[in-house]
Amino acid sequence: MTVGQLKLDNVKKSYGDVEVIQGVSLDVKHGEFIVFVGPSGCGKSTLLRMIAGLEEITAGDVEIDDKVVNTLPPVKRGIAMVFQSYALYPHMSVYENIAFPLRVEKRSNEEVDEKVRKAAEILHLTPRLQHRPGELSGGQRQRVAIGRAIVREPSVFLFDEPLSNLDAALRATMRVELTKLHHDLDATMIYVTHDQVEAMTMADRIVVLDAGNIAQVGSPLELYHKPDNLFVAGFIGNPKMNFLEVIGKGVEKDGVRVEVPGVGEFVLPVTAVDPNSVKDRALTLGIRPEHTHLSEGEIGLDLQANVVERLGIHTVGYANREGQDEVICTVQSGSAPIKAGEKFKLRFNAKDCHLFDADGKAFTRNLDLKGLGLPDLD
Amino acid sequence: MINKYRWWEIVGIYLGIALFLMFILAPFLEAFLVSMRPLNRINSIPYKIVTENMSFEAYFTMWENVPRLARYIWNSFFIATCVTIIVLIAVVPAAWAFARFEFKGRDAMLAAFLAINMVGGAVLIIPLFQLMRNLGLLNTYMAMIIPGAAFLIPTAIWLLRSYLMKIPRELEEAAWVDGASRPYILLKVILPIAMPGIVVVAIATFIGAYAQQFLFALTFNSNSDLHPLPVGIYQFFGRQTVVWNEVMAASLVGILPVLIIYIFLQRYIIAGLTAGAVKE
Repeated sequence: MTVGQLKLDNVKKSYGDVEVIQGVSLDVKHGEFIVFVGPSGCGKSTLLRMIAGLEEITAGDVEIDDKVVNTLPPVKRGIAMVFQSYALYPHMSVYENIAFPLRVEKRSNEEVDEKVRKAAEILHLTPRLQHRPGELSGGQRQRVAIGRAIVREPSVFLFDEPLSNLDAALRATMRVELTKLHHDLDATMIYVTHDQVEAMTMADRIVVLDAGNIAQVGSPLELYHKPDNLFVAGFIGNPKMNFLEVIGKGVEKDGVRVEVPGVGEFVLPVTAVDPNSVKDRALTLGIRPEHTHLSEGEIGLDLQANVVERLGIHTVGYANREGQDEVICTVQSGSAPIKAGEKFKLRFNAKDCHLFDADGKAFTRNLDLKGLGLPDLD
Repeated sequence: MINKYRWWEIVGIYLGIALFLMFILAPFLEAFLVSMRPLNRINSIPYKIVTENMSFEAYFTMWENVPRLARYIWNSFFIATCVTIIVLIAVVPAAWAFARFEFKGRDAMLAAFLAINMVGGAVLIIPLFQLMRNLGLLNTYMAMIIPGAAFLIPTAIWLLRSYLMKIPRELEEAAWVDGASRPYILLKVILPIAMPGIVVVAIATFIGAYAQQFLFALTFNSNSDLHPLPVGIYQFFGRQTVVWNEVMAASLVGILPVLIIYIFLQRYIIAGLTAGAVKE
C-alpha cells in the first residue's frame, strides 16, 4: 500500500460570488482517521468532493503523497470514495459491483476474482456475491460500496456520510466495523458526517467546519474538554453545552474572576493573556449538562424545571431561571429527584466551566488532558 | 394511499373505460368486418353486423390485385426500422448530455425542439422538397428516412432526457471515481439502467415513423418500388370502384409488424429495474 498523505493548502471554493470553502489548510498523516463534521451547509461534503476530484478547486492546492492533484481526475489521485446513497449499479451482481474498478482497469479475470473474494471475505459478503443490490439490506449494500473502494487499494479512502441512511442499531454496528477496517487496512481515511457520535467514536482527529472555515482541529477529547470557541463548544457534546451571560471582573492568579448576575462572583480556572479583555466585559460561561449536580458545587442556580426526560440510565432536565427564557439543560442520574414544574437548585464547579470572550473565542482552560488518566491519549 | 370503491363505483369506472375504448377499438372492428364482406355487401342499409357470404377471401385476393403489396409492407417496416435505429443512435447520447451536462444554450435548444414539434412536417414540406432535390435524394429510401428521423428526434430527446434525469448522479460519479471514461459510463452504467426508458422511446419512435411516412413518401418519392404501405394502398382505388374490403385487409395486415414489434419490446419494460441502486 502506498503512503496515504494528504495536504490541503489554503483550499478555496466559490460558486459565483459565494465562497463556500474559505481557505482550509490541513495536514493528514498516513493511517489517520480524520472526520469532517459540522452542521449541514458548512461545506464538509464539498471539501471532500474537492479532494475526490468531483468538484473543481477554485484556489489553493490539494496534495496527495506530495503531489499536487488539483487538476487530476479522481482515479489518478489514488483515492476511493464511498457515497451516502451507496451508488451501486443495480443491474450488476454484488461480485460485478465490487469488481467494477478492476474491470475498468482491464485486469485479468484471475486477479479480479482474487481481489473480489478477498474484499468479500473482509466484509462478510461471500454468500451474497451472486445477488443483486436490490436483494440486500441497507447495511449489506453499504458494505458492497466499501468493497468496491477496497479493491482499488487507494492511498486515501473518502467516505461521504456513509452511515446516515442506516437505522440506529445498524449504524452502531457499522461504526465498529469501520473502525476495525481502518485498523486492519492501515489506510488513511477521510470521513464526512453530521453525526458527532460517529465523529467522537471513530476519529483520530476531528475537523469541525463552520460556514466554510475550520473551527477547530483536534482529537475528540481535546474538542470536548478544550473547545477553541463557542461554535465547537456548542456543536460537540450532547445535550449541548449551556451558556450563561456573565461579566468579567479581572484576572487573578488562579484564573479569571467573573460575576454571574444574581448569583455571585467566582474564579474560573482559565488563562487570560490580556487583562483588558476581561475587566467589565460581557463574557459567556459554558457548562456542560453532564457537569451539573443537584447537591455539590460552588455555583448554584435557582431553576424551574420545564420538561424532564427519563431515559433510564439518565434523566435529562430542561429548566430556566426565573424571569429568563434561556433553557438550561442538565443530565442527572436515572432516578434524580427533579419534577417538571417544580423548583430546584442546580450546582456546578468552577473547574468544569468554560469561558468565552465577546467574540466567542475561548480562554484556555487550566486543564491537563494527560491528567485525566486516559490510557490512549498521547 | 388506499383506494376503496363501492360496487357501483367500480361498474361506473369500467363503463367509462369501455366507452372510451369503444371510440378507439370500433374503427378496428369495423375495418375487420369490412375486410370480411364481399364488395357488394359493404354498404348495407340498415346496418348489419353480420352479412351474407362473410369470408377471408379479401386477404388472399389483395395480393393478386396489388402484386407489390408485400413489398409495400416491407418498405414501411424497413423505413420505420431505419428511422428508429437512427433516432436511437442520435438520441441516447444527446439525451444524456441534455440531462447531465451544463452547457451554453442547453435550455434554448430544448425549447427549440418543442417549437419544431409545433410546426410539424406538413408546413415545411415544400422547403424540404427543394432540399431533397438539391441533395439528389428524391425517389430514394433516404428521402423518407432522413426527414422521418429528423422530426422524431426532438420528442425522443425530451422523452429520454426526463427518464435519464431520474438516474442518480452518484452512480456516474462512483464510476468516474473508479476510473471509468464517459463512453464507458454511458455504455456500462447508463444504458443498462435506462433500458426501460430506451424501449419506450424506441416504441414511440417506431410507431411515429410508421404513422408519419405517408406525407414524406407521397411528396418525396414517385418510385413505386419504394412506396410504403399507406401510399401503396392507393392502388386499390380504381377508376370506378374502391376495393374497400381489400383496403381494410391490407391495412390490418400492415399494422401487424408494429404489433409484433410492440409485443417483442414490451418484455423489456420491466418495472423496478433501478431498485437497490441508491437509498431513496
